[in-house]
Amino acid sequence: MSGQERQTAAQILAAYDGPPLRIMEVCGTHTHEIFRLGIRKLLPSQVELISGPGCPVCVTPVGFIDEAIWLAEHGVTITTFGDLVRVPGTSGSLASARAAGARVQVVYSPLDAVAYAREHEGEQVAFLSVGFETTVPAACLAAEQAVAEGLSNFSLLTANKTMPNAYAALRDSADVFLYPGHVHAIIGTQLCEDLARQGVSGVLAGFTAKELVTALAVAVRKAGEGEPFFVNAYPRVVRPEGTPVAVALINKLMEPCDTEWRGLGVIPQSGLRLRDEYAAVDARRVHGMPHIEGRANPACRCGEVLRGACKPSDCPLFGRGCTPQHPVGACMVSGEGSCSAYYQYGGDLL
Amino acid sequence: MCVGLSAKVVRIQDGTAIVDASGARRDVSVALLDEVEPGDYVMVHAGIAIAKITDEDEHETDELLEALYA
Amino acid sequence: MSAMEAGKVTLAMGAGGKQTSELIERVFARRFASPLLTADDAAVLESPRGKMAMSTDGFIVSPSFFAGGNIGKLSICGTVNDLACMGARPLYLTCGFVIEEGYPLDKLEQIADAMAATAAEVGVTLVAGDTKVAGRGQVDGVFITTTGVGEVVEGASPEGSKAAPGDAIIVTGDVGRHGCTILLERDDFGIEADVTSDCAPLWASVEAMLEVTRDVHVIRDATRGGVGTVLYEIAGQSDVGVELDAASIPVDPAVGGVCRMLGLEPLYLACEGRLVVIAPQEHASALVEALRSCPYSGGAAIIGRVTSDRPGWVVLNTEVGTQTLLPQPTGELLPRIC
Repeated sequence: MSGQERQTAAQILAAYDGPPLRIMEVCGTHTHEIFRLGIRKLLPSQVELISGPGCPVCVTPVGFIDEAIWLAEHGVTITTFGDLVRVPGTSGSLASARAAGARVQVVYSPLDAVAYAREHEGEQVAFLSVGFETTVPAACLAAEQAVAEGLSNFSLLTANKTMPNAYAALRDSADVFLYPGHVHAIIGTQLCEDLARQGVSGVLAGFTAKELVTALAVAVRKAGEGEPFFVNAYPRVVRPEGTPVAVALINKLMEPCDTEWRGLGVIPQSGLRLRDEYAAVDARRVHGMPHIEGRANPACRCGEVLRGACKPSDCPLFGRGCTPQHPVGACMVSGEGSCSAYYQYGGDLL
Repeated sequence: MCVGLSAKVVRIQDGTAIVDASGARRDVSVALLDEVEPGDYVMVHAGIAIAKITDEDEHETDELLEALYA
Repeated sequence: MSAMEAGKVTLAMGAGGKQTSELIERVFARRFASPLLTADDAAVLESPRGKMAMSTDGFIVSPSFFAGGNIGKLSICGTVNDLACMGARPLYLTCGFVIEEGYPLDKLEQIADAMAATAAEVGVTLVAGDTKVAGRGQVDGVFITTTGVGEVVEGASPEGSKAAPGDAIIVTGDVGRHGCTILLERDDFGIEADVTSDCAPLWASVEAMLEVTRDVHVIRDATRGGVGTVLYEIAGQSDVGVELDAASIPVDPAVGGVCRMLGLEPLYLACEGRLVVIAPQEHASALVEALRSCPYSGGAAIIGRVTSDRPGWVVLNTEVGTQTLLPQPTGELLPRIC
């Protein structure tokens, strides 16, 4: 096709006239930026963007919040990313637990949680370790540091998840996947190459306006060519080999386990838990936590929203009883939750 | 999934770097990366540098578009 | 050694006796001295000539000293700016203090110094005050409430319900600096940046605008909740749409850096010296020019326009040439990783 007049990424998107195309942005930060930048409006009507399950807050089951509140009620100081503070558990959030007297510290980094534990010897401190491959190394560094310093008052409450088996579970949900740039900055691109060989197409995307629009342009253009493909459209950050030191660190401290994804159910071997050698920093074991089963609001359709099976506005609670100010489901809490993005950015309004 | 911050390394000491993003500075761990030097750009997530990067997206996106016509 | 010599506020200093008089004399009376400052139960004052504006505001800020000001300066600016937003020249202020037992007297004096200096700069007179001391732990340091009376400039009647389609939207400087300053001062997230609060008295800026035209539809100070919250309030009150050009909203680079680090939106960080002004398009550039000649509004800029589309909503024109809604504030600002 050389010699053809060059188009900008936005022009390529606007000019797409092929068959209907479903593109799933797996990553919640992509969802957030796509809404924030109004990128959907650059797409022709037959290209649909589906928001996937890549928001750690949204896929964290209700029972995890209940576990955190159980710890707080047993005198443990909870350290957490701000994202989790307002997520509803079965009967309350960390914000409501804090209002009732629980100690809940918002931190920027798990390493700050270790620093807090160091400075508060008399308190037991647990860090809520959520997140995917991008975030796990930070939690592992924190746990290693606590062990190295001999801190006996720091532990992780883990709900970490990994992407490979989630991709397998999602493979029929879209025609092209927009892969999460920062997950693959850690794990590299081999998995995406393998998926392309199995017929699953994808583009690895960055997060700036240029990067997102370009990745989408690559996706529609390549999809039009008909062959399964993989393109790393974020090479300034993602190397094919990823960050091997980070992967080794994860494997040193953690091992795969079956885990529940809110909305997707249990995906085998898609979670991470601390190995027995690190039981001393495992909050569940340190504090003898019982098994806690969470109960989500039965009317909440976060699950289907996360699978791309329904739009947020199809949920009976959306905007009526479930709003960013008073969220019922996790998808309404997180800045990158589909429901929150849909509500905040007006859904069909614009 | 993971908010990343592109920031410039200003100083390094014992596996910790001071990074600067438009004048906002913070300690971040560079334990995951080899050979980071002052002046390098890194992608920071949750207080950890997860990758050494180049700081501008323009060149790269231009090349990607160019490749579509190859 | 007396408590006064020990340099700490005691419960006895709030009991109304001799020690109270000593506290008032040492800290407040000499700094706020004027013929109008009452030594009796109430100040007796000349009435304003035209319409009168009156406002009250309570100030609690932790920490009470921050880069660019302290709670004393804030307590004067807050009420002065509330009056200015109604087109009123601030005339008289009263102030009430609730001070925590044990609070250092020298810090209290610095607070009073800042109040006196700010009031003098604006030309507003402190006419009455009250001092209470609360037991340790009952308040956090010092709380101040100020009440102000102002004289509305003839012909000016800015109100939140007066924004009209076609009007220009102006901010008087870069957004979110006070909120960012306080966030940095609390040091919860280990971030450092050279950011100074925008805390400032804005009567001179408003006066300069009213000299250009009395036909200014809305003036609001963007305090808690920031410029974004104020614009949603105005859109609701006036039942109009607001359209902003994202690229034209002034943000200090370091404030932008802190916000990117924590995943926050500068439009929702508090300001203490920034106005949102809505006025007919034909006056917009003259108003901006007048604002830029004033000391605390040198960074004034037109950031958007009022529309009849989508009443009640604030729409942003994005860097990729599309439109999106400005998300509505959800309360507590929490840093996010996702």
